[in-house]
Amino acid sequence: MDYLLHILILICIYIILASSLNLISGYTGLLSISHAAFYGIGAYVAALMSLRLESNFLLNILCAIIISGIFGAIVGFPSLRIRDDYFVIATFAFQIITFSILNNLTSFTGGPMGLPGIPQPVLFGLKISSHEQFLLLVGFFTVCVFLICRRIVISPFGRVLKTIREDEVFAAASGKNVAFYKVMIFVIGAGMAAIAGSMYAYYISFIDPTSFTVMESIFIISIVIIGGAGSLWGPVVGAIVLVALPEILRFLGMPSSIAANMRQIIYGALLVVFMMWRPQGFLGEYSFTKDTSNE
Amino acid sequence: MFWQLCINALISASILFGLAIGFMIIYSTTRFFHFAHGIVYTIGAYLFFLFSALFHLPIYLSVSISIILSAFLGCLMDIFIYRPLRHRRTSSLILLLASIGIYIILQNVISIIFGDDTKAVSLGTIEEGYKVFNARITPIQILIVCASFALTVIVWFILRYSRLGKIMRAVGNNPELAKVSGINNDRVILLTFAIGSALAGISGLLISLDIYITPTMGMHALMMAVVTMIIGGVGSIPGIAFGALLLAFAQNFGVWKISSQWQDAIAFGILLVFLIFRPQGFLGKKIKKATV
Repeated sequence: MDYLLHILILICIYIILASSLNLISGYTGLLSISHAAFYGIGAYVAALMSLRLESNFLLNILCAIIISGIFGAIVGFPSLRIRDDYFVIATFAFQIITFSILNNLTSFTGGPMGLPGIPQPVLFGLKISSHEQFLLLVGFFTVCVFLICRRIVISPFGRVLKTIREDEVFAAASGKNVAFYKVMIFVIGAGMAAIAGSMYAYYISFIDPTSFTVMESIFIISIVIIGGAGSLWGPVVGAIVLVALPEILRFLGMPSSIAANMRQIIYGALLVVFMMWRPQGFLGEYSFTKDTSNE
Repeated sequence: MFWQLCINALISASILFGLAIGFMIIYSTTRFFHFAHGIVYTIGAYLFFLFSALFHLPIYLSVSISIILSAFLGCLMDIFIYRPLRHRRTSSLILLLASIGIYIILQNVISIIFGDDTKAVSLGTIEEGYKVFNARITPIQILIVCASFALTVIVWFILRYSRLGKIMRAVGNNPELAKVSGINNDRVILLTFAIGSALAGISGLLISLDIYITPTMGMHALMMAVVTMIIGGVGSIPGIAFGALLLAFAQNFGVWKISSQWQDAIAFGILLVFLIFRPQGFLGKKIKKATV
């Protein structure tokens, strides 16, 4: 039973991550391979605050959101000058630098040893310790994030984002401040990723840099793309499929050493297959095909 | 210490250079980031390991077989994945994502076949090396630098002065116009993949001679090659040589002052500075920028 709850909690965390990345990549069209960095920043801020300052759970999450949001603005900023594949490489660079800092700033982040013993969150005097309680907590945040995403997407703000995705020059010509929207959506997306990060830190109660690698970023963008970029339910479907599908391997009796590799092969293969035959994913409406480079 | 760092930097620059040139040739012809180039490099190293250390083939045979198979692998990727996508006129981002997918699949296949531990190819006993300016350089390292230098000259001549080089640039600059002028784009791109992948395979086997190999080494090496290409400027071989030297010296001398774990942060910090302030690199021509 705990196993099932564990999978559900992971699915919720990945729904938060993928939905927030979907705002950036699916709705605004800024393909970014840096989401695990925001996820990691959120996790480390929450973990460090609860370990060093022993501050309140909600306060920690708030700080994680704010700090991650600031980094989001830093990453969003280059998108004004560089685009398409060069922007992907810039986000990649941010991801690798973040990993390098988490891994090497040993005195602060614990380096490769990670941060063990993160205390269980206390919410209004209630200690959250069992899997069921955690699922409720994470589920609550997931629903919140989903509703916020929905609100953003159907609002005028969201329509401007989609306009930027389809035709940036047109958006600017209509008097929209493209720079503001691009940076803002990165701040929002990074803040949401920080929620997922702090949830992960509290749930596992141990974090180390290997959870926030380039591969993790690629995994999150795969969820968005396979589920369907630019659709609300796409990342939800993607997260369920990509987190749950590899668990089948466990029941096929595959040795765990190979299972980890098989899991990655599965999503690598899904990525290739979807790019070949259905680039918009299961439910998506956007497939990164707007290409102004050769015009 | 100073001279030793210079020599180390020179060696890493040589290997980086081969990989970056291969990547650049493919990028400048097809205009997308061929991420799976990194796995061709890894596979080149593992094939060499397989033939020389496990099958004990003579070195000349194992070198040539690994290079040919690497080139062949690049061609397969083009034929089965990239070409159908290209014909559907998809964007460079879709091609990039597909190549990331290929990278992930092949890296894990290598992991399953060879295991995650480090492997080393040794050619006989390890020699002490020659002394140059108080620094040591082994014969293999001299070989690496020479091989890389020779490759530079050959590739530079091909790209600059041969008909093939001209055709490749034509396809890169304007595929439609190239097609109208009677160039078979698909064949040129296939050839580009063959040459680029052969270069990746050569870099891979050179690195396997110098240090150990792991299944995940390709990602890191590829990112360094991308950094080199962007610093140097797309389409400029002297620029790339300069970029490789700058990066290798910055990393190796960075280690002197700060600890070695920060090599990546140094490299990608340089990259970000270039991307933001001079995205066309040192010697490259103007690239696409935000049009707003």
